[in-house]
Amino acid sequence: MNETFSKLVKELQAIVGERNATDDRAICTSYSRDQHWHFVPAKNPACVVRPGTKEEVRSVLMLANTHKIPVIPYSTGINVRGLTIPVHDGSILLDLSRMNRILEINPEMKTATVEPGVTFGMLLEQTRKHKLRPAFPDAPLTVSVLANYYLRGIYQTSATDGHDHTISYEMILPNGETLKTGSRALSEMPYFRYGVGPDFAGMFGAHPGTCGVVTELTAKLYRLYDNRKEYFIGFDDVGTPTEFIYNLMHDELAASIRLVDNQSWLEGIFGTFDYAYEKLPKFVVCVLVEGVDGIFDAKDTLVRKYMNESGGQVLELPAEFARTFEDECLGGAEKSCMVFGLPGKGNYHCIGLYGPLTLAAKYYEVHEKTALEVGIPKDHIHFYIDPIYSFHGQLCYFELDVFYDGSDAGFGEKLRNYNEKQFHRLLDLGIYGWFRPYAGIIEPTAERIGYLAEVWKKFLHVLDPNEIMNRGKLF
Amino acid sequence: MEQEREEEILSAIHHCVKCKLCSIANFHPNAEWLPLCPSGQYYGYQAFYAPGKMEIFRAILEGEITEPSEGLLNSVYACTVCGACYEKCKQITNVELGAPELFEEMRHELASKGWSLDVHKSIAEKIKETKNAYGERYEYKVKEGATDKNADVLYYIGCTARYRVPEIADAMLGIFDKLGLKYQVMDEEWCCGSVLFRTGQVEAAEKLIEHNVEEIRKSGAKTVVFTCPGCMKTFEKDYPDMGVELVHSTQFLTRLGNMNLKKEDLKAAYHDPCHLGRDLGIYEEPRAVLNEVADIKAMKREKEQAWCCGSGGGVKSAFDDFALWSATERLKEAKEAGAEALVSACPFCKRNLKEAAENEELEVYDVVELVNRCLEG
Ligand SMILES: Cc1cc2nc3c(=O)[nH]c(=O)nc-3n(C[C@H](O)[C@H](O)[C@H](O)COP(=O)(O)OP(=O)(O)OC[C@H]3O[C@@H](n4cnc5c(N)ncnc54)[C@H](O)[C@@H]3O)c2cc1C
Ligand code: SF4
Ligand code: SF4
Repeated sequence: MNETFSKLVKELQAIVGERNATDDRAICTSYSRDQHWHFVPAKNPACVVRPGTKEEVRSVLMLANTHKIPVIPYSTGINVRGLTIPVHDGSILLDLSRMNRILEINPEMKTATVEPGVTFGMLLEQTRKHKLRPAFPDAPLTVSVLANYYLRGIYQTSATDGHDHTISYEMILPNGETLKTGSRALSEMPYFRYGVGPDFAGMFGAHPGTCGVVTELTAKLYRLYDNRKEYFIGFDDVGTPTEFIYNLMHDELAASIRLVDNQSWLEGIFGTFDYAYEKLPKFVVCVLVEGVDGIFDAKDTLVRKYMNESGGQVLELPAEFARTFEDECLGGAEKSCMVFGLPGKGNYHCIGLYGPLTLAAKYYEVHEKTALEVGIPKDHIHFYIDPIYSFHGQLCYFELDVFYDGSDAGFGEKLRNYNEKQFHRLLDLGIYGWFRPYAGIIEPTAERIGYLAEVWKKFLHVLDPNEIMNRGKLF
Repeated sequence: MEQEREEEILSAIHHCVKCKLCSIANFHPNAEWLPLCPSGQYYGYQAFYAPGKMEIFRAILEGEITEPSEGLLNSVYACTVCGACYEKCKQITNVELGAPELFEEMRHELASKGWSLDVHKSIAEKIKETKNAYGERYEYKVKEGATDKNADVLYYIGCTARYRVPEIADAMLGIFDKLGLKYQVMDEEWCCGSVLFRTGQVEAAEKLIEHNVEEIRKSGAKTVVFTCPGCMKTFEKDYPDMGVELVHSTQFLTRLGNMNLKKEDLKAAYHDPCHLGRDLGIYEEPRAVLNEVADIKAMKREKEQAWCCGSGGGVKSAFDDFALWSATERLKEAKEAGAEALVSACPFCKRNLKEAAENEELEVYDVVELVNRCLEG
């Protein structure tokens, strides 16, 4: 480490305390890689800083901005897309996990305001006291609520929750200025997304890097109902159940719906290999109904009707399956094949995208085709669909999955080939958007968005002229 | 390290998805956020959690880390090797290598490069000189005439019960006496070597093993009883098969059946020692014994997911502040459970918890102390 950098570390220590900033090689190495390492190779940050307050964040950013040093905000670092792996040499990793206070739970407003280090588990532990819950990503419940919502905030686990869980937030920019979005900019009431002017919460979020550091965020909370019921219906192909899914979505009947391929998702979700999955049909539609007494009964009756007309096979799965399905959708994922893996295939690769239900069978077809072309064996190919309210445009989240052995370098190569072909094929087929605009997927996409890319670039330049915020690989 | 083993380890490391679910106890069904990894919780940097440590191990094996920096030594050795992360990971993934096993091998790898902590090296020196981990030069005395050279049962006392928490050894001997059981102790008991294994100084344990094995063979004992789970684990895992049965005090006591114990009016929480629970799988016997002498108050983090007392893996000697913090967290949990006493079955736990409880209104015992107290003398 050169002399200037050692001096910088001292300055950082003066801001956050000696214990909370280090350029120790081993400590930095522990942040050098995530699950996406076949695609984003390991790289060490030059130092790690752990601020405890907003003011410390501001001072660190201003110092970095003066010296034009890249900064990578990190809330819990569980993003699986290489998003907190440095792009540039000499980066500061800004580990925000010490800032883990739940600033407010407001049951009347049905909102929670959190700092970056608050995880879904921590938040649910508190909100459930008010019979409320956050909207859950299908991610381990150890991930940061703030980072997750800021990254996109469209979730598939509960169709009812739809998208836009973020209401407003506060972000510190590289120049030390604070930006507040929505009603937060005008008053002490951070409870409305659309304050003055454009939807800034939307504009500052969902970049392949960040614009600044979000230090607190207010999000929507949703009701926890006592009445719940789960159904599992088997199908042999992806096309047949789409009418059933359409009916449920059209009439807004189900809290969660997911079409899973039983050999991966079902097995993973239910957290046990001790079940004869191979005897089940190839695809299973899982449906969760909830609601207050009268509404619940009415919904349940209609769901059964559609289910019986669906042409699928109604499955009797053990109660523990239903329980884990509920947890995964409405309580946070703890047992999931994303983490769980499958025997001999412990690692998980996916392309997540938003698109219309009408293209479901096509997405599956192209997934299988490309995978087989690059030499991925058939039993490694998996798939799932989660439709999302509001169902305008028949909005669904699709996940094209491959489970594999991460230590097999050859398989990594196959997946890189798969991605290269598949990104283009899916763009050609037509999608609404990617799950996340991460490095690798964003470059071929940006080429297709015309002048929007230019505007996007200029917008980032205004907020971050020295380009210190970890920009991903775009611009 | 052998190439094959290195590949196995790297493969296991590559399978860690960095989900960090191993840093908390089972969240469902109670929806409670309960931290599980003392080292990560205390130090905060990713390096102190299991996934971060694995990444460091990868970088060592792949030749990226070539110097023993302070952060390296701290993150590797300020881990109690408690195994809580592994127990959690095992439930949710197909992980093939146990984290504690991995972390002990990591320490061995470091030690083989000479990257050990001075305080651990000095323990190895003390053991070499005095045959005990504390460098004490006196002998723990067993009452004259109490032992029987022909007894089938041999009580292996262990360094900590001999030199730091003798009340545990006293209690165990008291139980033998009160129940009129024949037992013997070693003429010359040497440290079992546990601390050397835990801190990666594996080779230094060879002589100790040789000596203790010889002593046990000479004794003719059929059963060796331990009050220290760390010693018992070392005998189980690292000693050759001596054809004798190795049992923990609580297993020994449950087997005795009715001991005519006078149950006390005491609300006690049971703290699972890591070596006894997660390493040896002994969860029920200590509870069965404690249930005979006190009312058990269950803590939230128990059995496979018990919070470590903070003293294992060489942490107590090298990072005492951290060890005491971890113990204090456990005391809080016991109090929340409504306990008046926190009872363990390990001299390391007792020592650390007791020290942390100095200004607390919570008693700390080893289960054999309570049994001895409740035995009609
Ligand atoms: C097995 C697995 C499965 C997953 N499945 C899903 C899924 O189905 N749906 C889903 O939505 N997510 C999923 N995720 C991803 C995960 O939910 C999100 O990436 C995560 O919530 C983001 O939180 P984080 O703390 O991990 O973010 P980090 O990894 O800390 O950061 C992610 C990105 O956000 C930036 N960032 C972090 N904090 C801030 C901040 N305070 N201000 C500004 N920028 C910031 C970082 O620089 C980085 O670019 C999955 C993750 C795993 C491990
Ligand atoms: S050790 Fe297991 S539980 Fe922990 S981060 Fe890795 S995969 Fe997840
Ligand atoms: S062994 Fe214990 S202290 Fe070490 S990383 Fe695992 S849980 Fe943390």
